[in-house]
Amino acid sequence: MAKLEVIDLHVEVTDEEKQTSKEILKGVDLTMNTGEIHAIMGPNGTGKSTLSETIMGRSAYHVTQGDILLNGESIVEMPVDERARKGLFLGMQYPAEIQGVTNAEFLRAAINARRPEDNQISVMDFLKELDKNLGILDMSESMTERYLNEGFSGGEKKRNEILQLMMIKPSFALLDEIDSGLDIDALQVVSKGVNSMRGDNFGSLIITHYQRLLNYIVPDVVHVMMGGRIVKTGDASLAKELEKEGYAGLRDEYDLDVALVDEN
Amino acid sequence: MDLVKDQIETDELVNAAKLNGEPSWFVNMRLHAAKQMNDLKMPLVQRFDYRDWRYTADAKLQWETSSLLNEDMGQKSDSDISIVQVGQTTVQVKLPADLQQKGVILTDIFSAIKNYPDLVQKYLMTKAITAEDNRLASYHLAYLNSGIFLYIPENVVIKEPIEAKLVQDSTKTNPFISHVLIVAEAGSEVAFTQHLTTQGEKQNEANCMVEILAAQDSQVKFSSVDELGANTLAYLERRAYVERNATVDWAMGILNEGNTIGDFNANLIGDGAQTDAKVIAISSHSQRLGINTGVTNRGKHSVGNILQRGVILEKSELVFNGIGNIIHGASGAKAEQENRILMMSSEAHGNANPILLIDENDVLAGHAASVGQVDQQQLYYLMSRGIDCETAERLVIRGFLGAVLSAIPAKAVRQQLIGTIERKLENGQ
Repeated sequence: MAKLEVIDLHVEVTDEEKQTSKEILKGVDLTMNTGEIHAIMGPNGTGKSTLSETIMGRSAYHVTQGDILLNGESIVEMPVDERARKGLFLGMQYPAEIQGVTNAEFLRAAINARRPEDNQISVMDFLKELDKNLGILDMSESMTERYLNEGFSGGEKKRNEILQLMMIKPSFALLDEIDSGLDIDALQVVSKGVNSMRGDNFGSLIITHYQRLLNYIVPDVVHVMMGGRIVKTGDASLAKELEKEGYAGLRDEYDLDVALVDEN
Repeated sequence: MDLVKDQIETDELVNAAKLNGEPSWFVNMRLHAAKQMNDLKMPLVQRFDYRDWRYTADAKLQWETSSLLNEDMGQKSDSDISIVQVGQTTVQVKLPADLQQKGVILTDIFSAIKNYPDLVQKYLMTKAITAEDNRLASYHLAYLNSGIFLYIPENVVIKEPIEAKLVQDSTKTNPFISHVLIVAEAGSEVAFTQHLTTQGEKQNEANCMVEILAAQDSQVKFSSVDELGANTLAYLERRAYVERNATVDWAMGILNEGNTIGDFNANLIGDGAQTDAKVIAISSHSQRLGINTGVTNRGKHSVGNILQRGVILEKSELVFNGIGNIIHGASGAKAEQENRILMMSSEAHGNANPILLIDENDVLAGHAASVGQVDQQQLYYLMSRGIDCETAERLVIRGFLGAVLSAIPAKAVRQQLIGTIERKLENGQ
């Protein structure tokens, strides 16, 4: 079993062009174990993506206070690739496109990066695993010979993120708005992929605006984030409650001291 | 004094040439080139200053048998049609009997001068390159000490690529002055691949030229992997003279370790002549590379494309000049070029310059150029999957070079180029 702990996390984001920085996370506490699916919901501009990017280690996000522990070890000073090899995965909202590197080649490199030099995955094992996962995600084999995300539609990119998740098999997957821009069929397929990972050795933190996704991937724990903090934690029914009352209703009901901003 | 010194140098050159059994017409060419050399300018590489480089410092003709010959250095070619030279010595020539019967000639340049004087005299530095072009061209002719002659008669199609391996012997101090002369007669087809390497650590100059004469309706595909050593100051000049409806395609990887000037041009003389130039260059350490890749459109409806991709590592410098020259009268000509440079270090210097000289109205010409840093978003994405920073950089670089690599038709060349690129990147990171 693996454990991911976020303790009193304060994070500033720097804008390199404007040379400014702004505090986004103002004391986040969160503990999750493998075997659990957590969802984070919250209005726009509240720091959900900042939390996932900070856990992964994106350089523009600076931890000013608090800590992030993976199995009791602080990862705050670790480079991104090391965090990944320790078992973290971030399914991105806007995956990069990389020309000249095929999907298949990239997947093998990612899998082998986590394995010792003398125990790299065999071509047969790799292809078997790949075929199985392509089947679950209803993806055509030709996708694997295309360049990484290059010219992929929004939906194809999301599927491809989940394909990577299924091939790499991390302990914890942070999934940042994997439902955005997906039609209902694609949403079901992507959810099927995530659900296929469920088990004692897998945990996921799912970031979403909408409850809809959580009908397909039913969470064990739901957190509501507002104003850079987690303001409420509950079970799957919390998401349904939110859908009915909205964030403002929740705020008023629990008398929360946060301003709601919509940055979009 | 100077007169006396000149006379001594002239006598030395004549003696050395006679020692090599060269006919007098060729010795005279050498003498003429040696005399005019110092009155000529150095080649122009815009935005690149190489005044301090000691080209032509070693102006003497000296014959040597390479001591590398006794060692098994892997300088063999597995190709069925091939030529291997180590220093000034030809160690292997393979040319199938059926091609010999058809009149194909593949031999070292000095044998060609002696055995096929009419052909060599007609084409060697007369059309594609002349000794008058610049000082390094004159120096080249005056002190030429190795090379290859390839002749493909009319309508002969050679299906298998011809492989040439040229090894600079830098176990001794002696410039490597090599000339590859390729004559493709009307309607012939050939693919020629050459690999330049260095053995030994001595400081030496390499002045290597390739001349391609492509007669009407012929097709020549030239590809090269240049891998000269760190202590070699290199001047690479490659020029094609392309007649009506003929095609000359270049695919070149400039992966030398030392300072290098590359000057490449296809002169589209005939109507409908075509060229496609693909160049990859990587500079590392404190190396400096200045590269001109040009197309001259003279023929009507001639078509020239240039695609260059460069990667700059550490404190090195790379300048790409794409030179499109459309001569008055070349109506309907097309000239496209794209020059892109990826900088992997903030201490590196790069320049990508499209230079267009168009003296004709009825043409289609376009250009694109860029110099950029590696995309941090791409690196983050790759690293977030557990791939370490160096590997991630290499993947991004390979992707960047991919546009050129994937367009190289010969798989063997592509593989060799990819292998050499990986080596150079690993050493440079």
